[in-house]
Amino acid sequence: MHAISKIIAYHADRTSVEVGEIVNVAPDYVMLNDRGAARAAELLRRMGGDKVFDPERIVVVFDHHYPAIRPQDAVSQKKTREWIKEQGISKFHAGEGIGHVIFPEKGYAFPGALIFGTDSHTVTNSALGCVATGMGHSDIASYLALGYNWLRVPEVIRFDLHGDFRPGVYAKDIALRIAQLYGEDAAPYLGVEFAGPLTAKMAMSERLVLCNMVIDFGAKTGYIQPDEITAHYLSQRAPDRRWTAFTSDSDADYGSIVELDVSEIEPLVAVPHDLSDVRDASKLNDVRIDEAVFGTCTGGRIEDFRVAAAIMKGRTLAPHTRMMVNPGSREVYMQAMREGLIDIMMQAGAQVGITGCGPCSGCHQGMLAPAENSITNASRNFRGRFGSPEANIYVASSATVAASAIAGHIVSPAESMSD
Amino acid sequence: MHIRGRAWTFGRNVNTDLIFPKMWFRPAYEPGEMASHIMVGIDEEFPNKVRRGDVIVGGLNFGCGSSREEAAACMKEAGIGAVIAPSFGRLFTRNCINVGLPVVVSPGIDGEVTQGDEIEIDLAKCHIRNLRTGYEARLPPMAPESLKLIEDGGIANYTRRVLEQRRQAARGKLK
Repeated sequence: MHAISKIIAYHADRTSVEVGEIVNVAPDYVMLNDRGAARAAELLRRMGGDKVFDPERIVVVFDHHYPAIRPQDAVSQKKTREWIKEQGISKFHAGEGIGHVIFPEKGYAFPGALIFGTDSHTVTNSALGCVATGMGHSDIASYLALGYNWLRVPEVIRFDLHGDFRPGVYAKDIALRIAQLYGEDAAPYLGVEFAGPLTAKMAMSERLVLCNMVIDFGAKTGYIQPDEITAHYLSQRAPDRRWTAFTSDSDADYGSIVELDVSEIEPLVAVPHDLSDVRDASKLNDVRIDEAVFGTCTGGRIEDFRVAAAIMKGRTLAPHTRMMVNPGSREVYMQAMREGLIDIMMQAGAQVGITGCGPCSGCHQGMLAPAENSITNASRNFRGRFGSPEANIYVASSATVAASAIAGHIVSPAESMSD
Repeated sequence: MHIRGRAWTFGRNVNTDLIFPKMWFRPAYEPGEMASHIMVGIDEEFPNKVRRGDVIVGGLNFGCGSSREEAAACMKEAGIGAVIAPSFGRLFTRNCINVGLPVVVSPGIDGEVTQGDEIEIDLAKCHIRNLRTGYEARLPPMAPESLKLIEDGGIANYTRRVLEQRRQAARGKLK
């Protein structure tokens, strides 16, 4: 069995499961975001459930529409706070950041865990060697009522990453390369494991970016075998957390194993409105940038701020370019302040907003007008995601976004790094 | 389960942002409200054109992206008989099953259907037919658990039933 199957079997109280089998599983944690909590609470009531099965396993995070954007959000958040109290849910994080950034930060994600969330990017957590997947609101409401939900055991494909990053190339570029080579449906319903010598030495922040993006190839969950980097990350953040890493059997079946030489990858950009339409950043110099959107569950970690600030230090945004920055969590925000990174970005002319999903949820400040071009270190360039459906979204790494915001048009960060 | 309806065709990689744009998110929905926004990210007039019993035929990776259940729920509420595509986004598939909307994988179907064609599906017999062109194909079998959830009308009905069984069992213990 693959480790993913073993994790599912463990949570189904079974010794083994087969790929394709549907089993009922009890997750370790279920993340409800503001929208998810409001909808799931209502659907739970409609299903005739008055009490959640186990309040200890529920983590509520306000990140999409928080602070409330419209009066209706304020009403719904007020109701959710009352519901949380009534249900005895103690794990509640409002204003502390994006669920997928704070889950690993606070030790909710750990090797061997099974995590559900009311958001597609829940897969991010799988970088720690767990199974993490998004679900719909009725799905989660059913779990809240019953304490289990159904899960199909996925086939797994593995990407073995070799070689080294060229200057200006990051995990985000690997994800874009996979989208370019294999499409937005590279891994429908599948588990996606990242392995190989480059993955083995990749920092947790980069692993989180890789696993964050697997949903945008259609995957159910990512997976990276826990190792010393994982153990070190957890010891810094959740020293009391007890966990067991599952290991794939040597004869575990893979749907396919893809070898990817990262040394061949240039800084890349997904162009509107398709994540698999990917070009070299250096060949898009004629694309004017009106707004850079920096942050989100893909690119809102402290390492992203370090990369951006190194590029932006002592420079200013192009006169026609604005930059909207939303740190992924309070911890990231405070650390970025301590390191002077926020200073650098603000002096360059960036607007730094609240922690949370920012414009990527299509809700918070930074909306685009028709025909405007945006470059972002978020994960999606879907039409209309940052406001007008006539606007264009280019998806790239944090370095490419920062360098392009300074230049006022798309550039490869390798160029500004060699200045 | 037997479905017959007029087809509306869409392309590949149609994401859920297009099926149900987030500007229409609400913490709670009035009856008919979700259906009134179906597919407006692609065609603002679609909610007025679509009729109960129609089927939606998409391209590869239909319903990819965000986990929003509204994308499936708005179709169910609009009375869509089935959504058919060569492949689907995982979350969309799951949401369709959970709201009781037949989600039918049919390899190559996007090349075999023109808008307005009459499509017939027999889920139990794993069979699809285009009544205008005579195209016929076998469908990959659906997991029996998923088919049962769809036939039951979705996960809400299932959950209600299990909760009721638990209550009865608890009452039984008290006696």
